[in-house]
Amino acid sequence: MPNNSNNAENKDLGRDAKFARRSFLQLAGLAVLSACSDEKKDAVLHIGQQFNDWVQSKVFSSTKLAPTFPDSELTPESQFRVNGKDDGPPKFDLAAWRLEVRGLVKHPGIYSLDQVKSLDKKVENVRHVCVEGWSIKPKWGGTRICDFLNWVGVDPNAQYMMAECADGYYVPYDMPSVMHPQSLLCYEAYNKPLTLEHGAPLRIVMPVKLGYKSAKWITRLTITNTKPGGYWEDQGYDWFGGI
Amino acid sequence: MTGSAESKSMSERIHPLVIRLTHWVNVIALYIMVTSGLKIYNASPIFGFLFPDWLTTGGWLAGARQWHFFAMWLFVVNGIVWVSYNCISKHGRYTTLFRPKDAHGVLPMIKYYLRIYKQHPRTGKYNALQKLAYSSMILVALVAVLTGLSIYWPVQMQVITAIFGNYDTARIYHFLAMSAIVLFFFGHLFMVAIAGWRNFLSMITGRGASHHGGPAVVTASHGSAHASPH
Repeated sequence: MPNNSNNAENKDLGRDAKFARRSFLQLAGLAVLSACSDEKKDAVLHIGQQFNDWVQSKVFSSTKLAPTFPDSELTPESQFRVNGKDDGPPKFDLAAWRLEVRGLVKHPGIYSLDQVKSLDKKVENVRHVCVEGWSIKPKWGGTRICDFLNWVGVDPNAQYMMAECADGYYVPYDMPSVMHPQSLLCYEAYNKPLTLEHGAPLRIVMPVKLGYKSAKWITRLTITNTKPGGYWEDQGYDWFGGI
Repeated sequence: MTGSAESKSMSERIHPLVIRLTHWVNVIALYIMVTSGLKIYNASPIFGFLFPDWLTTGGWLAGARQWHFFAMWLFVVNGIVWVSYNCISKHGRYTTLFRPKDAHGVLPMIKYYLRIYKQHPRTGKYNALQKLAYSSMILVALVAVLTGLSIYWPVQMQVITAIFGNYDTARIYHFLAMSAIVLFFFGHLFMVAIAGWRNFLSMITGRGASHHGGPAVVTASHGSAHASPH
């Protein structure tokens, strides 16, 4: 910047340059702040995420159905992808498997797979969207979660459900998504019993949620009014996980 | 404008405060959106390549998603302010909004940039190509937001997702919109580098020469009476 000149223009420029430097430093400061203070940054991001969860719960419609597809558009069974916690299917005795239901229901207890299957079966071709970005279109079959929960006498005012799995995975849900007509206790894929790697004997399928909400190998459902945490949710993935 | 002294015209207020604020907020928002977006892309690359970690924000997928869905509000709200201001202010008509009557100015500017014309064509505050570039970015940003909604909520926003085909194709369009924004960014940087340091400063201070680059030519028909000395 010229500083040995005495005309008005250059004085102005000098002043502008000072102001410019100051503004630029403030801007740089902001950038540095956002790079340094991890705690504050995480706090802001956490508030943002909670706000987005709230927005998602408002955007969610209990009557809006996920698009369904004809059989001809399904992902071939050979490309039916597996995503898990990287440690593969748990080892447990399929024959001894039972589903425990507890919390805000009239008939808490232990239920067998046959009891789950005794309710109406729903088959649906829907898109499964992974949080990573990929998607597949499998054919699922199972009992509507809402049918099962009504059968065990769920409290209509209950707010949350938590599913726990044989591999230690656990995942929370908001009740409106649980009671959505496409949400399943799924025991079939492509008209065949689930394979172990896909969550046999019983898994959750929720086409209105990201894939990490489709818990495999479920062993226990808890209906509660206390907001539960989850395996991924506690690590930073969004609690609502809607799509 | 000031009209008091000719010597003052080098420091006319050429960028209103709203424009300067939204400009720099946009820089921050887009930086976060693009770099966190690349991290999200890396979790399941659409094409056969990954972006290096130093280009990404968030550390891992969950962190990148937090940044992305935080900055989206910044980007959208800031964008609404910027577009609204440009629509209602004279400033927008002179600098940003490409209108049908600007069309005749496109070819001469292209010829000038290709060195076919030696003389800088007579233009308003900003030339037709600048306006075209800025206006088209409004459309690109709109596509970025709509494709973003399409893949954020492909069930709740399925009507929008369907405009872009399906979830998988909307991801590709989202990537292309981002690419167009990044391309514009580098073109913009290049032009600023050519125009010089003072031009850069003017976006911070709001003050500078009333005409960027070429000779100071202001046509009466555009009504922008920045009489610049040369």
